[in-house]
Amino acid sequence: MTDEMKFELLAYADGELSASARRNVEARLATDVGARALLAELQMTRQTLGSNEPAQPLPESREFYWSKIEREINRLESAGERRAPSPILQWWRRLILPAAGLAVLALTLSVNVLPGVGRGGSGVEASFPGAEALTYRDQAQGVTLVWLSYPGEDEARDYEAAPPDGDWL
Amino acid sequence: MRLPTFRIRVLSALALVFGCGLAAAVAAEELKLEATLVWGTNEAQSPDPKHKPVCAEVEKKLNTLPLRWQHYFEVKRQKFAVPDAGTQKVNMSKDCQIVVKNLGKGGVEMNVIGKGESVGRIKQRLPKGEVLVTGGNAANFTGWFIVLQQAE
Repeated sequence: MTDEMKFELLAYADGELSASARRNVEARLATDVGARALLAELQMTRQTLGSNEPAQPLPESREFYWSKIEREINRLESAGERRAPSPILQWWRRLILPAAGLAVLALTLSVNVLPGVGRGGSGVEASFPGAEALTYRDQAQGVTLVWLSYPGEDEARDYEAAPPDGDWL
Repeated sequence: MRLPTFRIRVLSALALVFGCGLAAAVAAEELKLEATLVWGTNEAQSPDPKHKPVCAEVEKKLNTLPLRWQHYFEVKRQKFAVPDAGTQKVNMSKDCQIVVKNLGKGGVEMNVIGKGESVGRIKQRLPKGEVLVTGGNAANFTGWFIVLQQAE
């Protein structure tokens, strides 16, 4: 049996032949045992495949099934989108950001711009006309010493036994 | 998540605003101060029976300073209050006064007056626990000090 004859038998089994070609194949089948055997095998195979294909029945209607998918997609998209703020939140946002900037500015100025006064107790500003002032700071103890000395007071005390100007006790 | 981030920003801004408000409120308060006139000497006993050793806290602070005296006696202690932006004059001895101005935000300006004349001015931030010591030489190799701090 040629391959062309086998294709014709396959087309016959599938019902794809014209009326004249079907009659020719049937005439051949009446005389050819091999052709009948091949046709029987093709028909059995076709029947087996068709009857054993797994069915996938839907528990609900097709429209309802796809509408569920569509609703789920819409829900996920809306959850991912940024929620539009309420008018109160928008008002707060407009107010808070400039207020925060002003607050930071005010805090910075209040800490740093006090004239002559530094942060954390440092930054002594001393003015002693006629005297020499030495400043010593112990940061750990939080002590600032401003020591006044008058020019020549040590010599005066040592050699003349005269009290310095700072003697107010 | 943008909304929680925005909430954090809002809360931070509110904290700043309230913090500044609190700082302003504190700054507007009067300062309660304590000024002590101290005599420093190496003598264990003061010849003046009115003198008493300085309190342990002040002694500890003075001992951390590079001074040559071992003993410190309290001559006079004055507690006083200075209103915000106000000035207070305090007599520490017959010849010594201090004029303290409240600069706000814990800052003070102390004008030391000796024998009727201004000896000098010191500006200093004086939060609680901070001590400002002004001193100089006194007779017989002793020393005088004005210890200024916030009152307890």
